[in-house]
Amino acid sequence: MTITWLQAALLGIMSCLAASTIAVLGTTVGNYTLNRPLIASVFVGLILGDVEGCITIAIPMQIIYIALVTPGGTVAADLRAVSYIGIPLAYVTAKSQGLDLASPEAQGIAGALGALVGTVGTVQFYGTAMMNLIWQHIGWARLDKKDFSILGKVEVFLPLISHFFISFIPVMLIVYYGADAVGNFQEALPMDSWYMKAIFTLGNLLPAVGIAILLKSVVTKMADLIFFVFGFTLAASMGLTLIAATAVGAVFALVNYQMTMIKLRAGTAGAADDEEDI
Amino acid sequence: MKKLSKKALNSSFWRWFYGNLTCFSHEHMQTFAYMWSMLPLIQELYETKDEQAEKLQTYYPFFNTEPQIGSIVVGITAGLEEARANGAEEIDDEMINGIRAGLMGPLAGIGDSLIVGTYIPVLLGVALGLSEGGSIIGPMFYIVVWNVTSIWFQKFIYNKGYELGGSAVEVIVGEQATALRESVIVMGQVIVGAMAASWVNITTSVVLTTAADRVLDEATGEYIVQEKDVLLQASLDGAFPKMLTMLFVLLCWWLMAKKNISPIKVMLLMVVLAFVGVFIGFFDPGLSY
Repeated sequence: MTITWLQAALLGIMSCLAASTIAVLGTTVGNYTLNRPLIASVFVGLILGDVEGCITIAIPMQIIYIALVTPGGTVAADLRAVSYIGIPLAYVTAKSQGLDLASPEAQGIAGALGALVGTVGTVQFYGTAMMNLIWQHIGWARLDKKDFSILGKVEVFLPLISHFFISFIPVMLIVYYGADAVGNFQEALPMDSWYMKAIFTLGNLLPAVGIAILLKSVVTKMADLIFFVFGFTLAASMGLTLIAATAVGAVFALVNYQMTMIKLRAGTAGAADDEEDI
Repeated sequence: MKKLSKKALNSSFWRWFYGNLTCFSHEHMQTFAYMWSMLPLIQELYETKDEQAEKLQTYYPFFNTEPQIGSIVVGITAGLEEARANGAEEIDDEMINGIRAGLMGPLAGIGDSLIVGTYIPVLLGVALGLSEGGSIIGPMFYIVVWNVTSIWFQKFIYNKGYELGGSAVEVIVGEQATALRESVIVMGQVIVGAMAASWVNITTSVVLTTAADRVLDEATGEYIVQEKDVLLQASLDGAFPKMLTMLFVLLCWWLMAKKNISPIKVMLLMVVLAFVGVFIGFFDPGLSY
């Protein structure tokens, strides 16, 4: 199975629309919708002609990158490469190996490829942000001359040039030539070799990093980990689904809120009493 | 009495919604987006070009926050700018930028932990569950629910910010809001635990010992010795189900949160662990054609 130039170009365009924080379609629609691997898989599937297959192969990638928070503009990995390079290449690899897309082998390849191309995305993120400096400097110069219309150009049109060079061209080339390269995967990397075992093991280990990134964003002190272990036990030992665990978590949230509010009220009432004493 | 038109406010909101990060750079971050979305308001409130240019300069200083929740700040400054155009003397550049700078940090914290760190992963988690077998229902669910709720929320807080002006600050960083935020994070901690158990599956193939079982052979009536492997995995699961998975997640968390190692480096460490682990026989995914 190969990818045509037209398909590669369409994937290139999608990667511009969805590019991380600097997406052409903006933060909510671009970054947090089209850039998520699970959502991207629908569009990759439409381009490659197998929506169901692409969704299946994208699931392990989505789990690795479940919580990509970019505090202060630092990225762990820009998902434009995971979604629009990783998914098509994982799909082509699994297909040319003759694997069932839902099999642990195919899912392992997807996870490992997702992590590998994540670093491509990081380079793209910093590249786009660097190139945007040019447009912003043009913007400041024109603002000094009271040319307000430059703001719209800096915000909407000029970043497209950054995306052409840093999203569109690289994604198109990597997908086109990469699909050829992974087509010969089977001879190059036999399944029972120790290095293939290592790649699949890696596919199992990487989701732990994704969850840990998420954990970092909600845990501030060591005691918070108890709630994490509690949630883990709910699912692992008691077999609760994610939505059921959310409901249990909501109870604790409500109790915590009410207790904090009682404390706050007691605090203000106490302060008022003190004043009366004086 | 000057009043901002609905049209100008809408234009300002959508410009921020769309453009908050389109021309992001590490030098100015969201500054240009901020100016672009203030422009229609300033052009409506002030007549001469010199006046407009002067007021736009208020928004020259650096701005960066979680942009979706950050739309409330744009709303607040819209309210303040309207009050200033009506002659409120206490509102000057310093006051506006004090509010902007003061809210950037707290809002980034709220947005990153609640929207990006909790809400989006929960929606994606539900969508992943609905996607089993390659079903398109999962992605569709996420596309609709995320975009509808997110856009509604951003528009709502923009308008609230505009109505409340400077008094919105208390609503955001006040005690009640902080208590609510911390409580939602408790729920997030429980959910992340459930996610770890549902989505991560790390097992070892280590054989502890080989136990010998004496089994009665029915055909001959004699006892024969059968060898049975005692697996480390089974022993661990007997003590606490999926213990190894949990330990791995906690290890990754500890490296990132306590040792300040970047996620990319932790991923590279996993590459090393995978190769070493397979080499020494700790991991064996059991592959075959």
